[in-house]
Formats: sequence, structure tokens, C-alpha cells
Amino acid sequence: MSTTDVFVTESDMLSLPSAETDAELDQLRVGSFRFDSDGVLVSWNKTAERIFGLNGEDTARDRTVARLDALLESGLAHRWDDIIGGRTKFVRRGLECTNIYGRAMCLTITGRVIDNDSGSRPEFVGYVVDSNEQAGGTAEGHIAAERLGVLADVSVALTSSLELNQILRTILTGATASQGLGFNRAFLFLFDATTNSLQGHIAVGPSSAEEAGDIWTNLESKRLSLGQLLEGHEGPPQAGQDRLTEHIRQYTLSLDDESRISQVCQSCQWANLQQESVLDDITTGLLRMLGTTRTALVPMVSKGNLQGLIMADNLITSRPISDDDVRMLQILANAAAVAMERARLYDQQLERAQELEKANQLLKESQEQIIKIEKMSIIGELTSAVAHELRNPLTVIGGFANLMLKDSPSEIQREYLSIIANETRRTEDVLTHLLEFHRDSQQEKTSFDLNELASRSLELLTGRLSRPQLGIQLSCHSEPLLVWGNQDQLAHAAYQLYHLVAEELLPPGKAEARTEWHGDHAALVIKLICPADGRDKMIAQLRQMFSENRPSTRLTMLVAEETIRYHGGSFGCSFTEDGMPSLYIELPRADQEVSHG
Amino acid sequence: MAERILVVDDDAMIRRLYTHELGRCGWDVDAFASGSEALEQVAPESHAVAIVDIEMPEMSGFDVMHLLRERAPKMAIILNTAYATYKDDFQSWLADAYVVKSSDMEPLIVKIRELTGTS
Repeated sequence: MSTTDVFVTESDMLSLPSAETDAELDQLRVGSFRFDSDGVLVSWNKTAERIFGLNGEDTARDRTVARLDALLESGLAHRWDDIIGGRTKFVRRGLECTNIYGRAMCLTITGRVIDNDSGSRPEFVGYVVDSNEQAGGTAEGHIAAERLGVLADVSVALTSSLELNQILRTILTGATASQGLGFNRAFLFLFDATTNSLQGHIAVGPSSAEEAGDIWTNLESKRLSLGQLLEGHEGPPQAGQDRLTEHIRQYTLSLDDESRISQVCQSCQWANLQQESVLDDITTGLLRMLGTTRTALVPMVSKGNLQGLIMADNLITSRPISDDDVRMLQILANAAAVAMERARLYDQQLERAQELEKANQLLKESQEQIIKIEKMSIIGELTSAVAHELRNPLTVIGGFANLMLKDSPSEIQREYLSIIANETRRTEDVLTHLLEFHRDSQQEKTSFDLNELASRSLELLTGRLSRPQLGIQLSCHSEPLLVWGNQDQLAHAAYQLYHLVAEELLPPGKAEARTEWHGDHAALVIKLICPADGRDKMIAQLRQMFSENRPSTRLTMLVAEETIRYHGGSFGCSFTEDGMPSLYIELPRADQEVSHG
Repeated sequence: MAERILVVDDDAMIRRLYTHELGRCGWDVDAFASGSEALEQVAPESHAVAIVDIEMPEMSGFDVMHLLRERAPKMAIILNTAYATYKDDFQSWLADAYVVKSSDMEPLIVKIRELTGTS
């Protein structure tokens, strides 16, 4: 006994709309039914109702798997735990039994549990065919059951893909494979809502009887199952398929015109044109173009929305197309339509997800920026408040020190008063720079050349140092080094660095400053140079600059460092190969830091 | 007769420093802690120069400056504050000079001399 397993998942059910599909199954005298995880029958179509005798008084009271099994002796209840646990499928063929009315039946029952990803409890979906009820007896009943299996296989293949072209090819393979519905050729048209027209998209099948003979012989020798065909182990004939596809793609059919094809699409009702003798010119023209007269037309509809149209014929074998053939094709088309819509929705969701991801990334960057700005704002406010509060007492302390110096103090008093006056003056300078920093932090950011900034900051030092000689030589990169940020704020940071180097570190050495690229960062590097015997002293001074014991220089360095870090850069000290220290500022090049805009 | 200088500043130490330093330079200094106190004492021709702090609790230096302008139009007014930012405030343009407070009083003294024509 062959085993045509009906493999159904919840997604399959989504792609088999119950109202439409159940009606088609009823037409085919195929029963469909569903048990919940407790083994209670929760839905069924009319054929299943008739086969199982669900209108009977006892059955109406007790619609459980146990009750049904007691009637049919199918063995379903016995294996229920394994089946509902997803460990096995259920297939029973040639089950001879009687229903509650005493009618003799020969049943084929297949089914399996639906794996449920959404967290709700699993369900068992089954299909049943009574061979005795099928016209023509057991053989046709068996065919119906086999075709049901085909539909299930195609449904599985459809649910495993979200790629539109793969879905379309699966549909046509299911329609044309001899292991499937067995049509010779199938053509798929996609609906374009903007133009209200059908556009030929893809075709499957041989283009001639000779080619068909070769292909079918070849496929027969490989003995592939439908599942293998659908998985693409062996595609349909490429050459003929390509020719047919090329042919069909040239065809566009307006649904505004009155034609049988338009009627099928608008009414969402399939048509078996083999049984229609009079056809309009448009439909006749299409059939002539395809070289056929015997064609099935099935609309692809999902939730009332037309997705496309499948045409199928038996041009090569001239096998008559029955209404049951078309109904089967319609069930396939229904599943395909839902799969297509799902694929489109998936693409839309994917696009939205990518947009959301991008938006989230921007949001994250914005949040980080806001945090930085808030932080800088708080620092700025604090700096400003502290600086102003310190200004008055410093003025008084330094002012009185200066006054006392004018009163001819003793030598030792003069020395101490001078220290007080000088240190006060220096602290006032720091406060001035802090206040300027706060003011500058409120200014806008732009793209600018680090070369210009390095030059301007160095020029500012002129005349502001205690010594006439600057001692710092600047060498700028030959090309502009574009960076992004608050130019004045960064100029102050560079100025502070120059100032500290000139006042605190230089004597008795000098410094060479240069601008250059460090990867995707522009850099200002200040290399300190001194005689070999002064190197240790210079390094000690450098350490002291960052030391807590020197609050004035440390505060200045901290502000400079924070400014540079705020701009996405770095500030630090490194040693060259000859052991001399270098101070550096690195800032991201302008196109690296656009989010600061 | 020495020129008289009016100082309006809420900081007592600043008033003391200015009184001492400017006195040493030969000016007579009248220092007040608030604008209202100063306005009570000022006559149209009583002082050549007023040195006015801006940030004061009762009445701002700008308000004091406006009232002094009404009371003594010929009096030169120097805004003197710890806030360099007020220099950009358009109200500061009405003053004759803007000097940021500093322990180095030389800039202030130079400015007074300029305004009094004694430099």
C-alpha cells in the first residue's frame, strides 16, 4: 500500500483558507476535519460530516477522537498521544467500516498534528475519502486521495518559501508534474492592480510533443517523488520552459475588457474552457497564441484580493480536463495565492524591519549624542557657575596682594605677595578660558580644516607667553584635513595644549608640531624635543601636568580632553622611537562624524 | 579737587579693594552695596565715573546704569563684572566701558583715566 502522507502545518492551514478550500474539497467529496489537542473535533466540512455521521444524536453529544474511533475502528485514538505529540503521522487506507446509519464505507484517512509556533496548543488536521462514495468506485477514490496528498505536498513546499519566484515555480510544478496534478503545461499570470491587468510571468511545460517525450522519459527514469521535484532535485525542462516563459511574458491582458478571462478574475470562479464552445475574441486570441483550445482557468485569490491567474492545459496528451481536475487546481491556486500574499507581506515586513533597524541605529546615535550634549551642557553650566563664583574672591585676593606689593614690603613679603599675585593671575586666566569654552560650546558645528585650526591656535599664543620665543614650529599637511565640530571649542583645546607645552614643558627645549592623517582621523601631533640630559625632567613635567597636584593644569587638560572626546576624537601622550614624548589630538575626518550635525 | 568715583558692587571685599586702590590713585571713592543706595546719594554732577557691577541681587547693573543715566547724564559708566559674556549683550553698548574684574586693576585704572581725561 502506498503511503501518501498528508503533511500539514499550521502555516498550511493558513495557506488553505477553510471556507474556500473546504467548499472545493466538498465538491471533490473529500472530507476535512480538525481535532484540538484534547481530542475534541472542532471543525469539519460537509463531506466529513456525512462520512462520520456527525449529525447523529450520539455523535453530536460526543465528538471526541475516542468516540469517532469507536465507530470507525481506525486506530486513531490508540495512537493519539504519539500523533498529538508530533511523533508520528496518521495514515490509514482501505478501512472498511459502516457509519452510524449503517452505510458501508471504504475510507482513506490521513492527517498529522499542526506544529504551532504561536504558542497555542497543537491541533490534528485530517482528511478522509470514502472510496465507495466516489463515482466510479475505489479507483477514483484512490486518485482523489492521492491528489489530496499532492495538494498537501505542494502546500508544504509553498510554506517553506518566502521567495516569490520560487513560490510561483512550486505552483506550476505541482500543477504539471505527473506525480502532481498532471497537467501538461501551466501558465501563470500576475495581477497588476495599478493597470488592472494580467501580465504573463512564468510558464512550465514542454513546448512540443517531441520535447515532452524526451523530458517525461527522462523524469520517469529518475523516479523522483513530487516532494523531490518541488525541492528542485530535478527542474522542469529548461529550454522549453524558457521558451514558453518568454512567450507568455509578452502577453498583457486588460481586465477592463469583457472576456471570459476577465470574468473568471472578477467573479473569482474557475472555468473549464474545454466545456465551453463559444468564447470571446480576447480569450480565443490567447488560446490561439498558446496553441491550445482545452484549458483550465483558475483565479488566484487571497482574502478577496486577486493575485493572478493560472492557465493549464493538456496540449500534448489531449487528456480531457475534468471539473475535478480544475477544482484540484483551484485548491492549489488558493494555497498559492495566500503564499504569494504572505511572501509579499514578508518582503514588506523585511523592508520595514530594515527601515526600523536603520531608524533604531540613528536613534541610538542620537541618544548617545544627546547624552554627550547633556553632559557637555552640564559641564559647561557648572564650569561657568564655578568660574564666576571664583572670579570675585580671586580679584580681591590678587588685588590686595598687588596693593601690598606697592607698599614697599620686606623682601620676603614681596616674594610671597608676588607668588600670590602671579598664581591668582594664572588662575584667572584659566577661568577666562573655561568661560570662553562654555560660550563656545553653544556654537554650531561645521566642517573645517584642522590645518587652519592648528595655525590659528598657535598664532593666538603670540604675545601671550611669558617668553618672547614661541619655541613651537608647526608643519601642516599639504592637503586639507577636514574634520567636523565646534571650531572655536576645538581651537581652544588646541590652544590650551600649545600653551601648556610652551609654558610648562618647553624651557629649555622646543617642540615640533605637525598635522597629518592617522587612518581615518586627522591628527595634530606635538613632539617635544630637548637635550638628552633634559628628557627625564621633561617627562616628569609632563606627568605633573596631568597630576592632581597641579589643579590648574590638570583642569585645563581635562577640559581639552573632554572637548576632543566629545567630538569623537582622542587626546593623549605617546613616545617616539627616540624616546621623546609627543602629545596628540586625533579627530575623525568630516565624513566619519556626520551624525554630529 | 579730586574727581569722585562711584562704585556699586554687592561684594564688600571688592568695594574695599576698589576704595583702597582707586583712593591710592587720587580719586575720592563712594562705594555702595546696591543700586538703590547709590541712587539716593547721587546728584547730577556729584561723580565723574560710576563703576557698576552687573550681577547684583536687588537691582541689576543694567537697571542701575539706566537710572544713573537719567539722574546724571554726564557721568561716565563702566560696567565691571566677572562675566565676560555680558560684553556681547546689547545693553552693555550703552556703557562707556566694559572691564572684566581682575586682580590686575591696571586696565580699570587706565579706563577711568581715559574717561576722566587724566591719563
